[in-house]
Order: sequence, then C-alpha cells, then structure tokens
Amino acid sequence: MDTQFLVSLSIIIASFALYIGIAIYNKAKETSDFYVAGRGISPFSNGMAIAADWMSAASFIGMAGTIMLLGYDGLAYIMGWTGGYLLLTFLLAPQLRKYGRYTVPEFIGDRYESHTARMIAALCTIIISFVYSIGQLSGSGVVIGRLLEVDAKVGTMIGVVLIAFYAAFGGMKGITWTQVAQYVILIIAYLIPVVFMSLQLTGNPIPWLSYGKIVGEFQQLDQQLGISQYTDPFLKGSKWQFLALMFTLMAGTAGLPHVIVRFYTVSTMKAARWSGAWALLFIGLLYLSAPAYAAFSRFILIKNVVGQKISELPAWTEKWINTGKLQIADANGDGILQWQEMVISNDIVVMATPEIANLGMFVIGLVAAGAMAAALSTAGGLMIAISSSFAHDIYYRILRPNASEQNRLLVARISIVAATVLAGLVALNPPGVITQIVAWAFAIAASTFFPALVLGVWWKRSNAAGAIAGMLVGLAVSLGYILAAKYGGFSVAGIVDTGAGIFGAVAAIAANVVVSLMTKEPSQSVQEEVYDLRYPEQMTYKDGQVWMR
Amino acid sequence: MKQIDKKVADAYFRERVRLIVIFLIIWFIVSFGVVMFAESFKNMTFNGFPFHYFMGAQGAVATFIILLFINAKVSDNIDKKYGISEEKNEQLSAGKALDH
Repeated sequence: MDTQFLVSLSIIIASFALYIGIAIYNKAKETSDFYVAGRGISPFSNGMAIAADWMSAASFIGMAGTIMLLGYDGLAYIMGWTGGYLLLTFLLAPQLRKYGRYTVPEFIGDRYESHTARMIAALCTIIISFVYSIGQLSGSGVVIGRLLEVDAKVGTMIGVVLIAFYAAFGGMKGITWTQVAQYVILIIAYLIPVVFMSLQLTGNPIPWLSYGKIVGEFQQLDQQLGISQYTDPFLKGSKWQFLALMFTLMAGTAGLPHVIVRFYTVSTMKAARWSGAWALLFIGLLYLSAPAYAAFSRFILIKNVVGQKISELPAWTEKWINTGKLQIADANGDGILQWQEMVISNDIVVMATPEIANLGMFVIGLVAAGAMAAALSTAGGLMIAISSSFAHDIYYRILRPNASEQNRLLVARISIVAATVLAGLVALNPPGVITQIVAWAFAIAASTFFPALVLGVWWKRSNAAGAIAGMLVGLAVSLGYILAAKYGGFSVAGIVDTGAGIFGAVAAIAANVVVSLMTKEPSQSVQEEVYDLRYPEQMTYKDGQVWMR
Repeated sequence: MKQIDKKVADAYFRERVRLIVIFLIIWFIVSFGVVMFAESFKNMTFNGFPFHYFMGAQGAVATFIILLFINAKVSDNIDKKYGISEEKNEQLSAGKALDH
C-alpha cells in the first residue's frame, strides 16, 4: 500500500460520503418522489443532473482513448453523443412533458392505448438499460481494479455492491441532487489534467484553443514515424459506417429511457427546453475536451515513449503494463520501442494522463473519483429506469393494479438489486470494449423508442398495431444486425455492429407507418391528446377547438 | 377558460415548427453534411486544425449548444407574443401531476 493508494482512496471515499449524505438527506418517502423527484427542479440543476446521468464511464474513461486510437473516425462519438440532444429537445422532451406520465413505457402504453405496447416498451427499457449498465459496470471495474491494484473482475464486483446500495436506497430524488454533485466532481476531475497538459505542451491553459496546433503538428510527426495520418478521414471504417454510427448515437440519445425520464422532472415545456440547452452545455464541456485529451496524450506518447529504449521507459508505463491495458513487445528486437510495437487499450488514456503529465497524487486521485462518479451516476439512472419499468409499468400497471405504495417500492428496490447483480455478472466477461457495448444500447434505443416516440408525438394517425409492429421490427433488425455483424462478419456498405441503429430505425418507422395505415385509426380522445401537444400548457385542444386557460 | 381562434393557435404551432425545421437543417449540415464531404475540406485549416477535423471536434458541438439556447430563447419570445404565461403553465402542470 503506497501513499498514492491512500490519497486516491480517501478522495473517493470523501466523494462517496458526499453522495450518500445527499441521498440520505433526500431519502425518498413516496413513490412519486422515487421516480421523478417530485417535479419542479430548476432547468439549470436539471441540466447538470442530465449531464451526469448522460456522461457515463464510456464518455469519461473511454472516449478520449477511442479518439486517440481512431483519429478522425472517433469524432462520430463526439457529434453523435451531443447532436442527439437537438432531436430530443426539439422533437420529444417538451411534448412528453406536457403529456405528463412517469415513465417512457407509460407514455407508450397510454398514447397507444395498449397494454401490449406498454409491455413491449417496458421490456425494451429493461433491455436497453441493462446493456448500457454492463458498460458502466465494466468501466467501474477498470477504475477500481487500477486503484486497488486488483483484477478488473474484482473491481467490477465492488462496483456492483456500491451501485445497488445507493440506487436502491435513494430513488430518483436522492439521485437528482447526488447527480448534480457528481457532475461537478466529474467535470472538475476531467478538466484539471487537460488544462495542465495544455499548459505544459503549448503554454496556453485553454485546451480548446491550444490543441489545434498539436493536431497540426501530427502531420509531420506521423510522416516521420511512417504511420497513417491522424486527421485523415475514414481510415478505420467506411464513410457510411461513420454516418450510420453518428445517426445511431443521435437517435439513440433521443430514445434512451433514463435520459427522457429526466425531462419529466421539470415543471413545464419551457423548462424542458431550457433543461436541454443547459444539459448540452454541461455535456459539451467534457465532449469538447476529449479530443484535446486524445491529441495531447498522443503527442506525449510519440515524443516521450516511442523511440525510447524499452528498458528506460517512463515509470508510469509499468503499472499499466501490469494491468494488461498497455502491451509492449519488442517485435524487431532492437531494444527500442516503435509505435507499432505498442498496444494501448482505449480505456486507459484518461486514467493514465495525470501520471503521464506528472500531475501529482491529488490529481490522480481526483480523476479516479471523477471516473467513479461518471460510472455510478449513469448506472444509478439506468437502475432507476429498469426498476420503474418493472415495478411501475409491468407490476403495477399490468399485473397488480391495486398494489399498495409500500409494496411497489419494495418491488422497485428488489428489481434494482437483481438487475445490478445480473449486469455485474455479465460485466465480469464483457462482450466488447466499453464504448462498443454502449453503442449497442443506443442502436436498440434508436430502433425501438425513437420511432415510437417521434411518431407518437407528431403523427396522430399512428396506432397501437403500428407501434407494436414498429418496436418489434426495430428490436429484431437492430439485434439481428448487431449479432450478424459481430459474430457473422456480415456488413452492408462497411457498416459494422455499432451502426446498426440506422437499419433498425428505418425498418421500425416503415413498419409503424405501414401497419398504422392498414389498421383502424386511434380513438378520438387519443387523437385529440396528440393534437394538444402542439401547444403550450395554457392552450388546450378539445372538440376541434383551442381553449386558453 | 375562453376559446381562442383556431387560426391563432395554428399560427403558434407553425412558428414553432418552422423554427425546429430551420434548426434541424443547420444541425444536419454541420454534422452529416460536413462528414459527407470531409475529404474536400482536408486541406483547409482553421486554428491549426484541418477544417473537417475542427468541425467534428468543436464546430458541430458548439453549433448544437448555440442552437439549443437560441431555441429556448426564441420559443420564450413566441410564447410571450401569444400571451402565454409561464406561471399559469406551472400551475396547470402541477395540477396535472398524476395521482397514482
């Protein structure tokens, strides 16, 4: 046990104490608080909570590394994970807020007047959130494993216990304010190393302005090393894969149940629009910094690591080689490390940066705490989504309509624990790297909820049969494509598993429209409700007339 | 509760939709549009970056954020123009909170 370990551990424990303190303070008493935090959180705070909910282990730990390894092609993640907020804020969030339900399956069930649609939506919520949380848990495994210098598997198990504990304990109300705190910690932890690196490498403390110069320098450096150009487009995949992945991430964003439910916590349609704007600003702070991280780390690796004698590599490399995340092999036996002789896992770039830039123990500990905040906050939101789908939509709305509040709360808590443990078991042997697993969750969301929600809000003719057909077709196509592309080597126009959402979404929209038109139109009252979503709360549409209250 | 002219209500909706359509067109151009023609921007530079890289890493994201704030602000103005009061909205949605 060295000093670094003690410093990191105390910072993490201090941050946890803060989260748990907030959760206890807000301990949810009623179910309405448990799910949507008793409506009425300001757009500014809600923006931070959305941002923390949103920025997962994949964003915090994995994204900078992904960009460093993929070059320009990695930017699909940057644009995809931010651009989706426009679809969400323009097309869905305010309208869903006016419709006023607790969960996404509840909206789908009531809008389409169908228990079958509700059931499918609840199952889709569980599938999407479950896949997503596998990525989070394996991310927390990387952090805890590195910190305690244990195997990532043991780290994952510790993460499971932590997440199950506080998601089941606090509910959404605890989680909203906890997430605000988590956002603050994670963004500070993310920005400090990149600001210092910017200062060290360029003399300018503002990374967003300074790293262009570094990116520009790569042209020459890459030529000298004889490797492919960092900024050249479409080297790691086809242009169509880039576009398909970007679409998948955007549409998936607008269809993720645990993000949408955040917009139910604001008071009005106007507040929903402002929440979306603040959320993207807070998210943008991290997403605009990730490519800077990538550029700086790559620059340091080229300058200080590549071309060195293997026996004289910087000290930080050793610890990462021990975890198996950094592999070095002297392939040509000259005792000097070439770029090609190094294999870096994209999960370590952010975690290793403070060590690479020699920023000291406190910053290293802070980054570990920030990464934990990112993994836990998203996992917490996901677990609430899973438990509300099960306890509220399936158990209460379908199976046991007269269940008592206490009873439902108990079912919600049990389902959180069960889901966390199950996801943890899968995360012990993750089926892909974090960013990839997360992209699958987005593909499924883009193929099931995105079409059902957009058509449900904007097209009053869409009916139950259409929605059911759309969700099932979308689910089948996206899952089928992911499996066929990952395990069967199947691809269309070079689009691999992570871009599956484009096919699923198009198929689902087509199925929804065709089946809706072939079957009976929805009831008059539902059509009026959909028409009503065109206007702000104060205007109501009724019997073909608009009323002002 | 008083009835308002359907034409006025429709005009409100049209204004909001026009706004959304304009924003989504810009959204599409700065993201998908630039990617589609990435190769042709390779030799332009901006602040040290090749232009296509700048758009992917910063330009598109900054545009998204700005569009969302403009949308929130302009929508507020449209609401004001049609005499929508936020206090009234809050009151109405609070009343709409579900009882189960």
